Amino acid sequence: MRFLKSPDVLKSLEILKHPEVIKSPDILKPQGMSRSWFRNLTIGIAFFFTLLLFLSIGVLLFVLKPSEILSALLSEEMFYSMKLSMLTSFASTFSVMCCSIPTAYALSRFSFPGKSLIKAVLGLPMAFPELVMGLALLLLFGHGFLGPYLEAAGIKVTFTKLGIVVAQFFVAFPYAVRVIYSTFEDINPRYEQVSRSFGYGEFETFRHVTLPMARSGLFASSVITFARCIGAFGAVLVLAGGSYMHTEVLPVTLYLNISYGNLEMAVTSGILLMGIAFLAILSFERFEGGRL
Amino acid sequence: MSFLEVRDICLDVGSFELKGIDLKAEKGDYVALIGPSGSGKSLLLETIIGFYGPRKGNVFLEGRDITFFSPDKRQISIVYQDNMLFPHMDIFENIAYALKKKLRDKKQIEMEVTQIAGVLGIKELLHRKPDTLSGGEKQRASLARSLVARPKLLLLDEPFSALDARTREKLREMLKKAIADYSTTVLHVTHDFEDVWALANRVVVIRKGEVMQAGDPESVFRRPSPDFVAEFLGTNVLKGTVKALEGKLAVIEADGLEIYSADPAEPGEDVTVSIRPEEIILAREAVESSARNTLRGKVSGIFKKEHLVVVEVKTGTAEIKAVITPTSCEMLGLEPGREMYVVFKASNARIIR
Repeated sequence: MRFLKSPDVLKSLEILKHPEVIKSPDILKPQGMSRSWFRNLTIGIAFFFTLLLFLSIGVLLFVLKPSEILSALLSEEMFYSMKLSMLTSFASTFSVMCCSIPTAYALSRFSFPGKSLIKAVLGLPMAFPELVMGLALLLLFGHGFLGPYLEAAGIKVTFTKLGIVVAQFFVAFPYAVRVIYSTFEDINPRYEQVSRSFGYGEFETFRHVTLPMARSGLFASSVITFARCIGAFGAVLVLAGGSYMHTEVLPVTLYLNISYGNLEMAVTSGILLMGIAFLAILSFERFEGGRL
Repeated sequence: MSFLEVRDICLDVGSFELKGIDLKAEKGDYVALIGPSGSGKSLLLETIIGFYGPRKGNVFLEGRDITFFSPDKRQISIVYQDNMLFPHMDIFENIAYALKKKLRDKKQIEMEVTQIAGVLGIKELLHRKPDTLSGGEKQRASLARSLVARPKLLLLDEPFSALDARTREKLREMLKKAIADYSTTVLHVTHDFEDVWALANRVVVIRKGEVMQAGDPESVFRRPSPDFVAEFLGTNVLKGTVKALEGKLAVIEADGLEIYSADPAEPGEDVTVSIRPEEIILAREAVESSARNTLRGKVSGIFKKEHLVVVEVKTGTAEIKAVITPTSCEMLGLEPGREMYVVFKASNARIIR
């Protein structure tokens, strides 16, 4: 068949090469037998649990009176926690982006010894409980290993605000690398090669071609990173301690107030976290077309 | 030493392999690289431009060994099948990008961009983004970008294969003019023999990572080595003169044959006629049909290849190849020496100049 280059053969080869050419796969859906019990069951399950999820979110919104939410919002503790959450999350998002862009680029473009090891290690935290991650960080930055050296340099990580940033960083970093990696993978390296052929070096090409082309993907991943950072709890609690008005970020506020039985504060911080997550997902969908 | 010399390049990347490729081109040459897909043609281009380092062998440009130069130091540019225009820049910025490393002066850059845009007919498109252009327009912009910096060597990797026949033809003309204006040496990877006829002065046939044959287009197409016939079927090429016009058809005398072509031609004109082997029908008897050309000849060779049979028929002084299925081959009782009729439509006899 390779020798016959009639337009039809070429066209069918084109379709094989670009499966996206085959638009709406309607032909694959069974027609006429759409009332089967199996169809109804799957759709029913989809509806039931989405509704349940939606209800639980709704409950969060309607359990308090607006005045209660307002007073909780205006409390000194909530103000402190919100400010600290914002600051630490911005700091950690910034450092995560600074580190994950080069990491993801190296993984996507270069082959080097130890690459698969890096990939495997970065994949670990996906399945790794955050709490264990916090413990591991506590041990690493504690008295046993790095702690004394860092303290000698005037840096204290455990039970400090810096600890919050460090914990958030390690929670969000592997995810960010993943998202950015897929962004770079979607950019045909030939764009970069063409730029190289015009006399641009590797870094110039990265700056003028790769980064602008990855712009929306990078924006989306920084939003997702921010959402992960601000919502990080287990690792933050273990490494930074979660102490009242000191290392208290929004998830910690929720946790502390639940244990005091102070529902208003807990629910309000829950609503705040939810709102941030919602905004993050919205902008992620908008910029990445919901690919994840 | 030639302008470009590729010596004994060996390299494997994935399932592609180059096994000691040798290639030469003089300044101003237009070399067509043809061969079946998977033969390593594109890989060869990417080795010459420096995206891959060969395991063995050297690339010389203007007598300098550039085998391990980084791509930004070679002054070689490339046009791919899918244009690779930077989507975040408009066409002007895309073309200017290729100049910015060479020229500092904005005025001068603008002048050069306008000039090449004029040659390739994309002046009106300069302020549009690539994704708003048609396939042919994108490819012209991509050519403009690759030519504007006047590279020593221009590599074309199937630049027209995603375009329809008419656009392709138009682009060939423009490319021809642009190449002449910018006096560039070109290596052009293609599947399409019409590219070879319209543009190239040398052909290199590559198969499974090896050079099978090299020479000027006529000798390669008319006397292809047997392997080439079997592996990469070219086309039937006949050279002749237009004798007369019969209505809309041109009557061409070539190799002692009279051939009717539906392509426009002038009487007395010297032309090359190509007929694709898959468009030829073999018949035992001279049948009345809508096909204008019926030539008598004798089967001189039968080659079986996978699911197809290539039959060579000697007619006049020419040997015409036809591709048929094994079943038809059996039904017709084909064997060397048998008399056959070669039938094809006037619209399938394409005139190439």
